[in-house]
Amino acid sequence: MRDVLTAIKRTPYQSFATFFTLFLTLFLSLAVFFILTFLYGILGYVESRPQVTVYFQTQTSESDIQKIKDDLLTSGKVVSAKYVSKNEAFTIYQKMNKDNPLLLEMVSPDILPPSLEIFAKKPTFLPEIAEFLKKQPGIDEVNFQKNIIDKLLSLTSIVRRASMIFFGYFIVTTVIILISITHFKIALKKDEIELMRLLGASKFYIKKPFLKEAVFFGLISSVIVFSIFMGVFYLSRYYLQAYLSGVANLSIDLGFYTLSVWPVTLEFAGLAFVFTAFFGIAISTASTLLATQKYIK
Amino acid sequence: MILFENVFKKFPLGNTALQDISFEIQDNEFVFLVGSSGAGKTSILKLILRDMVPTSGMVAVNEFDLSSINFRQLEKLRRSIGFVFQDFKILDEKNVFENIAIGLQITGLSTKEIKRKVTEVLELVGLENKDKVFPIQLSAGELQRVSIARAVCGDRKIILADEPTGNLDPKTTWDIMKIFKKLEGKKTIIIATHNTDIVNSLKKRVFLLKEGRMVKDMRKGGYEL
Repeated sequence: MRDVLTAIKRTPYQSFATFFTLFLTLFLSLAVFFILTFLYGILGYVESRPQVTVYFQTQTSESDIQKIKDDLLTSGKVVSAKYVSKNEAFTIYQKMNKDNPLLLEMVSPDILPPSLEIFAKKPTFLPEIAEFLKKQPGIDEVNFQKNIIDKLLSLTSIVRRASMIFFGYFIVTTVIILISITHFKIALKKDEIELMRLLGASKFYIKKPFLKEAVFFGLISSVIVFSIFMGVFYLSRYYLQAYLSGVANLSIDLGFYTLSVWPVTLEFAGLAFVFTAFFGIAISTASTLLATQKYIK
Repeated sequence: MILFENVFKKFPLGNTALQDISFEIQDNEFVFLVGSSGAGKTSILKLILRDMVPTSGMVAVNEFDLSSINFRQLEKLRRSIGFVFQDFKILDEKNVFENIAIGLQITGLSTKEIKRKVTEVLELVGLENKDKVFPIQLSAGELQRVSIARAVCGDRKIILADEPTGNLDPKTTWDIMKIFKKLEGKKTIIIATHNTDIVNSLKKRVFLLKEGRMVKDMRKGGYEL
């Protein structure tokens, strides 16, 4: 550790250049990581909402609705269909407007429509289900979220591809800059390297100080980037809460594990830090390794 | 033991550094290499250190045949050789202690052991209280002492010195030679020099080189050209 600090003190400009390059790359990468995870979280959230909601006229009988529900379930295109009665709708309404007594006073269960919340087996069945429902008697309105899901899927796909290009560009740029800085450091230590070589130092021994510095910079940059990013995130929490109002939580289903994204949990923050630290150390060490392989023969 | 057998060294541009050089130096011998500039003194030292490879012929140092040595063996060989340079090759950004310790650190010794050995060698070269001093604060003679200390430190069995007194005044030259004299019989010492007084007064084995050839190998020789 002392060697690393001494080396930084002896080459302050190169050290700052390394730090700022890593800082910028890691900060932007962490931002992309958060955007992507939130987008996937939102996508998962929207997918978990009823994909088709059909509202019936208030006078439609429960038995008619039950018949439509049975027809849907036997069609083979629906995973589930949940009946929400007038009373249940009123309870939901009460919960949503508990802070507004005026609105609660104005509404009674009689004026709220009963509904069916339907989950399709495939998104492609959604238009067919909607068409079927529209032809049924006693239907007031049919809402289905295919467009929202499609738009989110397309947005997520665009962001993912843009991130790939962004990552590719930043990795290449960062590696080139770090190789150049390391090359410069090697040139500055040319006499020392030559001397060590003549004294019988192994190649790895000569490379070791550069690699130690690389790990140090990768880790320090990650810690600082993560701290600043989480600070900014903390300060903007009210804005995010307002933006995501009504969304209790966002999570990503990884198959083997469900990762909670919002509100930010300790495990998500931990994962973000591990991602940043791993990326920072890996890119810094790999660049230094490439530079030392090339310039220390 | 150092063995040269019919060693030739030609550089890519065609100039010949060494021609048919053969000799054998036993352990703990003290040898001077003398000859005018370009005679091949430095080339012999570089061949021993394997900083250069011969065009033909065989060079062997201790148990190593330098023509077939691998990386690990080369590291081991170089860890048994100390080199003293005419221009000292002292690192400006390191203090005296660090400059000497560099040769020990590469062998993986503990900090405690390094400190003990550096202190010992600082005493040998008469720089006991200068371990924290940086090179810029030292005279040429003191810099050469540091260079010798680094070469000697860590039980290096062979000391090669290329014009170690070339940049020094006569008094300092003798002070430096006294250090080499202290090491006589404990290490193999090979000194390439132009200094007539030193060679003549010490009466050690002398290799006289001329245009890359070994002209004389004198057991208790003097400086002849």
